[in-house]
Amino acid sequence: MSVIEVENLVKRYKRAKQPAVKSIGFEVQEGEFFAFLGPNGAGKTTTISILTTTLAKTAGAVRIAGFDVDTQHHQVRDHIGIIFQRPNLDRTLTAEENIRIHACLYGMYVYRPAFKMMPASYRERVERLAGIVGVTDALFTRVSQLSGGMQRKFEVIRSLTHTPHVLFLDEPTQGLDAVARHDLWDYLNQIRREWGTTVFLTTHYIDEAEGADTVCLIDRGEIALCCPPEEMKRRLGAATLEDAYVDYLRHAADAAVPSLVSPAGSSRRKSTPAGASALSAEPEGDRRFGS
Amino acid sequence: MTTPAATRTVGAEGQGGGDWRATRRLPRAAREANAALAVAARDVTSTLKNPGSMITALLMPVLIMGMIGGTLMQNMADGLGFDFGEFMLVGMVVNMLFMMTTMGMISLVDDSDDNYSAELLVAPVSRYAIVVGKILGSSFLALVSCGGVLAVGAVMGTTLALWQLLALLALAPLMCLSGGALAMIVMGVIKNNKTANVAVMLITMPQMFLAGVIIPISQSSGLLGALSRAMPMTYCVDLGRAVIYAGRPDYDAVVMFNPAVNLVGVAALTAVCLVVGTWLYARSEKHR
Repeated sequence: MSVIEVENLVKRYKRAKQPAVKSIGFEVQEGEFFAFLGPNGAGKTTTISILTTTLAKTAGAVRIAGFDVDTQHHQVRDHIGIIFQRPNLDRTLTAEENIRIHACLYGMYVYRPAFKMMPASYRERVERLAGIVGVTDALFTRVSQLSGGMQRKFEVIRSLTHTPHVLFLDEPTQGLDAVARHDLWDYLNQIRREWGTTVFLTTHYIDEAEGADTVCLIDRGEIALCCPPEEMKRRLGAATLEDAYVDYLRHAADAAVPSLVSPAGSSRRKSTPAGASALSAEPEGDRRFGS
Repeated sequence: MTTPAATRTVGAEGQGGGDWRATRRLPRAAREANAALAVAARDVTSTLKNPGSMITALLMPVLIMGMIGGTLMQNMADGLGFDFGEFMLVGMVVNMLFMMTTMGMISLVDDSDDNYSAELLVAPVSRYAIVVGKILGSSFLALVSCGGVLAVGAVMGTTLALWQLLALLALAPLMCLSGGALAMIVMGVIKNNKTANVAVMLITMPQMFLAGVIIPISQSSGLLGALSRAMPMTYCVDLGRAVIYAGRPDYDAVVMFNPAVNLVGVAALTAVCLVVGTWLYARSEKHR
């Protein structure tokens, strides 16, 4: 089942001469890890903003979990979780207070002014999520006193509190050091394995997309390539996805690279709900991101 | 295109126990009220952790009431036909409720700067729940500043009876809602913190004089008279005084309008500002 459906999506900002997104289309299957790559200004954040209902589109159709982003935005918001490009925890509150407010905004619990006053299921949920990523000790620390990596981990916890169908990650590891990136991806992969959450990723770290089921490359507002990473590497004769990505962008202007977009302009490849079988076969100690 | 997915309910949940990953949600109306409460609680928690804002809220009445009001009281209060100190005290309580809530709404622009507004705007709740929650949160600091007004009044030898205080507190939600709704007209279109601060000062300071908070305006005419009647705070202040002075011989010297007129005036202006302001806010965030 397609959980994200995009058809002929167009976005032209006010007073802009050219559309930022030019009639793009793709589909993402339930449980899929979908990487949406492209250079700065390609239209990644514009697309993700429209998909997450924070930006109005100019034309086209977008459905998330079967709900239209324009007419059923409440239902869409119910089914998604987002890690924004810019960190956005309230720095004056503790990490737990941020999570508590999020849970109440999503209607999961009636707000109460202290963690101890919240229902046992909430406390268990928060402690369990914090335990998975190893930040239990920092739950009650003011966010302004946490490192960037810790803040990112709490943003992930917050975004998963309401068990979203689809998790949008807009450059989630931007500004993090290598260790924090590894830790964050370990956690995200664990969540994917356990929950079967669909992940929609934009990133400038191409190695993070190596383990994706589908890689979609957007360039100047248009979908340039959309296929599994192995196919992209094979078609472009590159050893790594990063090599393929760089090669494509360098030669895009020459129009020498064959299009890998399917006739419908969509990624329609089916994947297992959580990609569980592939993940379980992964060798231990493999430190690839997004695997 | 596929059919909508059902809301995923992993297991039983509720207010105690059950599957820790469960996703059962509150009914829609309860969710909206709960979201407004959570937004308000966030602002209250932030305020409590920021002693500077509390101190400012307490000092504001010292400047406005103690210095401006005190000077007027010493030099111009004779022959008015009513107790100027009490007149000013009631006006200042309403003014602080209105003005501090209006100023507190600047935090919406701060949220936009800090990108926290994105967290609020992707939540599956109406924009009204967010705005009303913000107004409720801002009204906390307004109530703190009312404590400052009462303290300054006591120093100046003017106090309110308990029933008068309770009556004003009963009206406080309407006053705060009115001030917050007016602020939304500005916050709906301004995205810059400095501009928002200036704009809020421009809409609150003139009202303090035009609405008769400290200086009586019953004789205002012409442009000033028209402006005073266009200000939401005029009706808030007059309604507050109508309740406090009800049945007293100096009622007619202090109160300008029938309380019903005040109530309708406040409710109508608040409703218009709230609807238009929220629409502007939601639109400016999404339609770029």
